[in-house]
Amino acid sequence: MKVLGIDTSGYANAVGVIDDNQVLADFTFEARNDSLEKIVANIDFVLKKAGLSLEDIEGFGVGLGPGSWTGIKVGVTVGKILAFSTNKPVSGVPTLEVLAYQARNMPGLICPIINAGAGDTIYAAFYRTKDGTVSRAGEYYVGDIQGLAEMVKEPTVFIGAEAQAYSRLINQALGSPDDIRAIEDVPRGSVVALLAATCLERGENDDVLSLTPLYLKESTAKAFINRYSRSVQAKG
Amino acid sequence: MFVLGIETSCDETAAALVTDGKVVLSNKIATQLDLLQKFGGVVPEIAARRHTELIVYVIKEALDSAGKTLADVGAIAVTSKQGLIGCLLVGVAAAKSLSYSLRIPLIGVHHIEGHIFANLLSNPQIPMPHICLTVSGGHTMLVYVQDYCQYELLGSTLDDAAGEAFDKIAKFLDLGFPGGPVIDKLAVRGNRKAFNFPRPLLKAKTLDFSFSGLKTAIINAFKHRIANGETLPLEDIAASFQEAIVDVLVSKTLHAVLQRKVSAISVTGGVSANRRLREVFRETCRQKGIEVFFPELSFCTDNAAMIAAAGYARLKLGEADDLNLNVIPNVPLEVQGGS
Repeated sequence: MKVLGIDTSGYANAVGVIDDNQVLADFTFEARNDSLEKIVANIDFVLKKAGLSLEDIEGFGVGLGPGSWTGIKVGVTVGKILAFSTNKPVSGVPTLEVLAYQARNMPGLICPIINAGAGDTIYAAFYRTKDGTVSRAGEYYVGDIQGLAEMVKEPTVFIGAEAQAYSRLINQALGSPDDIRAIEDVPRGSVVALLAATCLERGENDDVLSLTPLYLKESTAKAFINRYSRSVQAKG
Repeated sequence: MFVLGIETSCDETAAALVTDGKVVLSNKIATQLDLLQKFGGVVPEIAARRHTELIVYVIKEALDSAGKTLADVGAIAVTSKQGLIGCLLVGVAAAKSLSYSLRIPLIGVHHIEGHIFANLLSNPQIPMPHICLTVSGGHTMLVYVQDYCQYELLGSTLDDAAGEAFDKIAKFLDLGFPGGPVIDKLAVRGNRKAFNFPRPLLKAKTLDFSFSGLKTAIINAFKHRIANGETLPLEDIAASFQEAIVDVLVSKTLHAVLQRKVSAISVTGGVSANRRLREVFRETCRQKGIEVFFPELSFCTDNAAMIAAAGYARLKLGEADDLNLNVIPNVPLEVQGGS
């Protein structure tokens, strides 16, 4: 199955095309503030590298984040529209799972980390490997690195753009450096495509009309209003 | 040619299908009124998230209700200039993807140019040149429309937009959101001369507007009575406040008409739905022998049919954007082509 995968949730954006398990083309590019400007032209570039046109694509994979709020809206909208306009299925893939999959050959627990772009906040989750696939163990984590360090109880490999720096902080917190490893990597478009293909082949499509990004953190305004209404209730 | 218009510059997710910039086959708008009422105004991030949820749905609705499919669409027009950046980018991301996927031309449109075309959709007979007053919750602008796609900005608000003043006064008087329709309705039963509220910049030579002083004057006049739990003459306040705004809008527009020696006025934007504004414009223009035009109500507020119409006009001039089209949140109306 030929699947196009895209992820625009971080400072590195990714586009990749696979055919079954074979990677036909994979391209990662820096797009700190210009995902919108670059993404469609780069999809065209990757398809041409793969020797395909959009009509050849049988399904779409979209990185849902978490990550840059602005970035994910672009990628998810592009993915939905391409699926809708070509009448092909789409599957959304959490970007943390994409990163975890990229570390699937490492021993121990896998912990992808994404910088939330606001202060010290990070997004993370723990994944276990089984038969070449990864599955999430427990809830998504939103908080600071110290809070995450407290959750590390066994040998763990951290993966993400700033994994080295984070793993050093975790080492300091734990005081036992031996079991903590770090892989610096960004999500790959071909991996988004691969994970989406697994879902699409099982018939687990997402609804092209209603698919939305994974934000994990409420927008500041909403969080503010929720806090406000709680404090009003508390006073009342 | 069928042009699919997309508009997501503020809080409405909109898509429309328009034939040759003239015949509106469909004009679909998913409003965020529920969110607006909850938060008392537009929260940019929340509005942008809603656009991402609704955009494909609204495009599908626009096609289905016109009885067309994507294969029938000849070009995509999208609001790419003037608006909230996070909101604009959802529409532009959708438009670029459609243009790429369907291999059809793409054109980015300035939101205010869309409003100018909203009235041309309703009244294609509006003569050129004319003066266009665009007045809404986000804008108050006087534009000299020399010809299709040729504009000169004559004046705009220095602080609050007129519609914003309606919203803020409605909020102050606890009348709900949006303020325009509520005040319009209340004012019918009120005395327009009950209070003599200030008419900012009315006598000044400038064609710019200012409404924040009017808002402050009203708040200062009544805040103590509200604090003391007194019952306010809401109808009279609404009527007198509305009269002050209408007075300023009509006077400045007529000033622009005299200055540019044109014989026609186009009033567009959400506030152009206001009944008293329409009444005073019609009466004054009748006396002075000037033609005045208003869009039908569905084209007053933000919509995508006006974007499709404006986009078609630009395509006819030989303009088009490529896949690198980006959003520009704040740019003068005159700066067109290339982005």
